[in-house]
Amino acid sequence: MIKVQNLSKTFISHIKEPGLKGSIKALVKRETKVKEALKSVNLEIKRGEIIGLIGANGAGKTTLVKILSGIVHPTSGEATVLGFKPWERHNEYRKQMCLIMGQKAQVWWDLPALDSFLLLKEIYQIPDTIYKRNVEFLAETLMVKDHLRTQVRKLSLGERMKIELMAALLHQPSVIFMDEPTIGLDLSAQRAVRDFMKNYQREFKPITILTSHYMEDIKELCPRVVIIKEGEFVYDGALSKIQGMLGDEKCLSVTTKESTYKLNVPRSELASKTSEIFKANEVLDLNIHDPSIEDVIESIMKNGMKSK
Amino acid sequence: MNWWRHVVANELRKILAFRSDFWVTFLGQTIIQVLIARALWQSIFDANGTKVMEGFTLPMMTLYYIIVPVGNKILTGENVGFLAREIYDGSFNRYLIYPISFFQYKTLTYLTHSFFFALQLVLIYLLFNLFQPDGVTLTLLLNLLSGVAIFLVASYVFCMIAMSIELLSLWADNIWSLMVMARFFVYFFGGSYMPLNFFPDWAVSALQYTPFPYLVSLPIRTTMGLASSTEIQVGLVSLLVWSILFHLTARSLWSKGEYRYNGVGI
Repeated sequence: MIKVQNLSKTFISHIKEPGLKGSIKALVKRETKVKEALKSVNLEIKRGEIIGLIGANGAGKTTLVKILSGIVHPTSGEATVLGFKPWERHNEYRKQMCLIMGQKAQVWWDLPALDSFLLLKEIYQIPDTIYKRNVEFLAETLMVKDHLRTQVRKLSLGERMKIELMAALLHQPSVIFMDEPTIGLDLSAQRAVRDFMKNYQREFKPITILTSHYMEDIKELCPRVVIIKEGEFVYDGALSKIQGMLGDEKCLSVTTKESTYKLNVPRSELASKTSEIFKANEVLDLNIHDPSIEDVIESIMKNGMKSK
Repeated sequence: MNWWRHVVANELRKILAFRSDFWVTFLGQTIIQVLIARALWQSIFDANGTKVMEGFTLPMMTLYYIIVPVGNKILTGENVGFLAREIYDGSFNRYLIYPISFFQYKTLTYLTHSFFFALQLVLIYLLFNLFQPDGVTLTLLLNLLSGVAIFLVASYVFCMIAMSIELLSLWADNIWSLMVMARFFVYFFGGSYMPLNFFPDWAVSALQYTPFPYLVSLPIRTTMGLASSTEIQVGLVSLLVWSILFHLTARSLWSKGEYRYNGVGI
């Protein structure tokens, strides 16, 4: 299981004024900026569970994944994954874990996938029979059998992502960290990756943390979500409960000559607000509906839990 | 440690993956550098009206400059930035995730490149000697093998020096200029630009306390059969001491610097 207690991470970065003057000044003296990427967060995930980590850019999702996968050290707090402190990088832990990064290739670009897989087989000490079975199973399920002998850099983005998935899952990890696995993929490739992960989760029951900006990924894969805002968890619970969180509100989608916008309005004020909108604008279209999951999450990410 | 074999095999596959680059590196660069050196030293010998300079005849000098470019490649293994670039763009993450030591992995890839260039040296050296009056003799083969072995040991030491410098990128993003400077010092004070015989005695004596002559001059002199057994023994001990020193430096830099690593790029 994964247990996180009061985990914090602070990054220090340098800032520079724009322009030549700023560049010259920075040669002598640089100013630093401290950013609290994670602020004392707590989390528990049980074996077989898959959670979706949602948040705006820079909210701290990837930082959490980096700490739990052992890439970076936390500033303070504790975390254990399968009983190991990730940043101590015990081989026993690393053999049971994988990190899939949508924006960063891990397989070797200049080599065909099968060459990378052979190296990974040795690195993870996968027995021959299991290796063969897993390559066969993964290649077939992800439909990449024909691409295993092509240099990875010559594959399309979607094909490359599937190869990345294969490489990460060859050793059948018990913990999977997926950071934006469907980023940049076309709709059918996104669906293929999602379907694959859904089946994989059902069959092998790993602990999985998924970060994604695509709500489809979250809705299809994650019964539980954690919403993170400026380094703090603002919601940790069932995805199904999120929709009810704005239960006393209705969503107005308004299209005027100038623009289209959405508005969450308390049910009691619905009539007066609608009439106000009609008076103030030349409305082309107006739609009243219950807030979608996306609306609720967007609202939480923008306003925190105060909005409910 | 079966993965070591696969890392080496993978690295060789990567080197051979680009055909034109392979041939340009293998033949083009070497031929051009040898021709330039031959023409330069020919004119120097002619201008001085002498047949021997600091113990070197023109054919010996030519051989020296045949060995130098390939020797430098053996020494410097992978390109500048083999570690710093990966730290800079975040590709370094993979070594932290895989259940292996990144030190061992990167040292192996570095030495694989060195080994590949060592094969080039063997080929070029044998080709050169085939056209010499004495041809390829057993002594020559033994000198060549000893020279290549010392080149590979020297390459390990330079790998540790390079790692120590490249790990500084955990503090300062760009260490390119430092690496270029390090290479320049090694080439200049090691004897790549001109044999150390041309340096004043006091400079040669002072250089004995640095790693430079053992990284370049010693393996070249051994390959050419000019180094005495004492010189080789002292050189090997020095290389061992320097390798331990730089290994410890690199390790200590990593143990401090890993707290600064941000895993950028994801």
